[in-house]
Amino acid sequence: MEKRLKVDHLSISFDTPQGEVEAVRDVSFSLSSGEVLALVGESGCGKSVLCRGIMKLLPASAKMKSGSIYVNGVDITKFREREMQKMRGRVFSMVFQDPLTVLNPTLTVGAQIAEAVKIKTPGLSRDEIQKRVSELLELVGIDRSLERMKYYPHQFSGGMRQRSVMAIALAGNPSILFADEPTTALDVMIQAQILDLLRRIQKTLGTATVFVSHDLGAVARVADRVAVMYAGKIVEIGTAEELFYDPKHPYTIGLLRSLPSYSKGCGTLSAIPGMPPPLLHPPKGDAFACRNEYALAIDYEEEPPMFRVTETHYAATWRLDARAKKRYGGQIKKGDENEEGRIT
Amino acid sequence: MKRYDFLVYFGKKAMLFFLSIFLLSVFVFYISRLAPGDPLLSYYGERAERLGPQEREWAEKRLGLNESVTVQYVRWLKNALRGDFGISYKYKMEVTEVIKGRIGNTLILGGSGFLLIFGLALLTGILCAWREDGILDRILCKVGTVVSCIPEFWLSLVLILIFSVNLRWLPSSGAGAAGAADDFCGRIRHLILPLTVIVAEHLWYYAYLIRNRLLEEMRADYVLLAKSKGLNKRRILFAHCLRNAVPSYISLMAVSVPHILGGTYIVETVFSYPGLGTLSYESARYKDYNLLMLLCILSGALVIFCSIAAKAINERMDPRTGNRNIAAGAEVQRR
Amino acid sequence: MKKEGLLEVSHLTCLYPISKKTEIRAVSDVSFQIRSGEIFGLIGESGSGKSTIARCVMNLLKPANGSVFYRGIDIYDKKEYRKHKKMLQTERQLIFQDSGSSLNQRMKVHEVIAEPMKIQRRKPLRGSYRAEAEFQMQHVGLDVSYLDQYPAELSGGQRQRLAIARALTMEPKLLVADEPIASLDVSIQAQIVNLFLHLREEHGFSFLFIAHDLAMAEFLCDRVGVMYRGRLVEEAPVKELFERPIHPYTKALLSAIPIPDPVKERARKPAEFHEGDFFFDGEWTQERAEHFVLREGGRTL
Repeated sequence: MEKRLKVDHLSISFDTPQGEVEAVRDVSFSLSSGEVLALVGESGCGKSVLCRGIMKLLPASAKMKSGSIYVNGVDITKFREREMQKMRGRVFSMVFQDPLTVLNPTLTVGAQIAEAVKIKTPGLSRDEIQKRVSELLELVGIDRSLERMKYYPHQFSGGMRQRSVMAIALAGNPSILFADEPTTALDVMIQAQILDLLRRIQKTLGTATVFVSHDLGAVARVADRVAVMYAGKIVEIGTAEELFYDPKHPYTIGLLRSLPSYSKGCGTLSAIPGMPPPLLHPPKGDAFACRNEYALAIDYEEEPPMFRVTETHYAATWRLDARAKKRYGGQIKKGDENEEGRIT
Repeated sequence: MKRYDFLVYFGKKAMLFFLSIFLLSVFVFYISRLAPGDPLLSYYGERAERLGPQEREWAEKRLGLNESVTVQYVRWLKNALRGDFGISYKYKMEVTEVIKGRIGNTLILGGSGFLLIFGLALLTGILCAWREDGILDRILCKVGTVVSCIPEFWLSLVLILIFSVNLRWLPSSGAGAAGAADDFCGRIRHLILPLTVIVAEHLWYYAYLIRNRLLEEMRADYVLLAKSKGLNKRRILFAHCLRNAVPSYISLMAVSVPHILGGTYIVETVFSYPGLGTLSYESARYKDYNLLMLLCILSGALVIFCSIAAKAINERMDPRTGNRNIAAGAEVQRR
Repeated sequence: MKKEGLLEVSHLTCLYPISKKTEIRAVSDVSFQIRSGEIFGLIGESGSGKSTIARCVMNLLKPANGSVFYRGIDIYDKKEYRKHKKMLQTERQLIFQDSGSSLNQRMKVHEVIAEPMKIQRRKPLRGSYRAEAEFQMQHVGLDVSYLDQYPAELSGGQRQRLAIARALTMEPKLLVADEPIASLDVSIQAQIVNLFLHLREEHGFSFLFIAHDLAMAEFLCDRVGVMYRGRLVEEAPVKELFERPIHPYTKALLSAIPIPDPVKERARKPAEFHEGDFFFDGEWTQERAEHFVLREGGRTL
């Protein structure tokens, strides 16, 4: 399959009065056409920064320290604002978390979609634009589109607003779509609808999608592949099945276990102790080591490289090192409490 | 139903307007009479000091100044409601006539000043916001702070000193050369200095306001979406940010009409520009009661009208305040 | 005097005026009970009136109709309220969703914790206010080294712990928690939920737990009430409700819970529920033991 997006050893940091905050550290991944890659992690782990960094939507205090980004085989790392502007909307576009604040309150929804249509194909007549806007609204599941495109955002419900934002994102028929927590601000019953819409559109248009979320349920619904981020790094990446059924990194395991559905019937949830480390001065070695009950000595000394589990599954933990395996034997499966205990 | 609602709305605002004018007239009438000074001085000029007691009494009776203030006020109000505002003691003619001759000058100065400030502030604000923290932005902000701290009369005097006295480029006073009041170029030449002072004094505050409003808008989330759909900076600034910033700016400008007008009065006095400003100054100084009343009421009406208009503009401009959609789920009922 | 229930809400109706002529009926005719030592959950989507109920329970919002009894005291009866003011103010404590904005940013952590004790003129049991603050911090699992820091320097989970510690100084009987974990990360959510469970075990608190995360509510609560458009549509013990829901809205809501399992989650088909399916003429009826539902007129469920 053709690689739509390839990110190579990308690092992004912010200049703050306290010093340099390394928000994204040495991240590499690739995305094929028609694929949904989910970026999972806690707030502040760098998943949103990564997406905005690729689209160069970050404030001036952010800078790309190293690494490169290829979009459809073209290196865009050195692209300036003018070139990026030509790519936004057409090559990639973005759906945001809160549809109420990202829509301009004083413009009708139709006008905001029309703007995006005009950028894709300039010189359309009014009728043609209106027809295209109406098509887009129907595509995202808003019926009575001719009437509703005259509405202002505040007259829409939360779900309809998010659908409109998706219509705007899709207006330029982009080959890559970034969806930054698109369901977090919505009610549970709307979430599944929006996720299914995202999935359907992605299948019909063949858009490669980067889906950012902290909600593992939503990720399970839409993602083909999942990348787990912790403290600015991708710690584990693999297909959805591999990640959910056979997680390797202790953080991924902890994340899955802290969900209530895992501890059903037990007295307490199995929470991960502690907090994510500060990114101002990230710790030496594995950033997760201090929260990991089963950390090895080497975790505090040296950063683990990406170990290969299968062709598609990689994880950055010393537990996958050949020596560690020999010593402790066995893999850690979900629910495999006893074996886990032995490793200490 | 809608039409009826509108009439009620309009009626309420009109009531408020007339009530305010009435209170203002009472206030000004009593205050002006409490202030020390001799109204006969403005009527008879130098001669007033040589009047004998009997002549004085006769003169006061003739001008209706011998009765109590309340009686005077009732008489004034009765006449005013009929459209008769009395005569000016100084000019010995109907006050409406006196004002008619001057109001044009003030409207030209104040109106063009207001429009210039409005436009230039918008332009400066946009320029500054376009390159935030750029050289231009920083220079304009600093210059603005300094200039707006200079008192108007002082700036006027300095400009007169430089351009009229030393360089002799521009006239220092009046609205047109003697005998050639209708000469267009002459009028423009007379306007330049007073206009410069008015604009220089007020521009910065509004420009700074526009700049900050725009920057605030440019940090809003919807700009991210606009950027991600590929709009360029110019379009984002004008079609999105400016669009959202302008309604509040317009209503602010409406409120500040009186503020700018106040500035005009001072500038008129310094430049001896024959407008309402100099007239108000003179009428207050010479106790020209009838003239003072009408001037105060006119200015007051403008102030009150502008503030009511500003409020109305604010209420109407935002689509969100129109027909509201209630947060999902709840039930709405009419009381 | 009601004996069994710690808190009893009966026929509560709340209105919010939005203009001179119209008002929103945020809560209408809601009744439920919380027993001692019980965690009662209110679930429903945003705007369904959950938070409004929390405010009514805390005397923060006067209901238009109906009453709230705490230990049999009508808290909206001025005379009774004044008589039991101290007890009512200390025994009920509120925890907000966003502790960042509900904590005074200019007070240090130990001052924040000690403030309610100072207001109520309570003598610190452990010598000084500072010692008391230290004790409560250890109690909720907050490192004592934060004593002299400001709330802004703490993370979201720590601030939530701080808010809980402050509430605990009053030795409350009823904790009203309005979406206390909604703004936290998954791993931190689990920590706070565990803390709640631990506190209940140790002190026998009662909780009014307001949530939109249904999976967490299922895990934490003993009994659950489902809110929809200002009404309570169903109320039952948690197991009963999640296994045998009756009201179509509850069914739709429960079927919307995402499952963190790719195969199951992709196969899940959420049931649909449209606004048009809901009439406002329901009648509160008991279906099974402790299982109540809003039966709507002329319709089979």
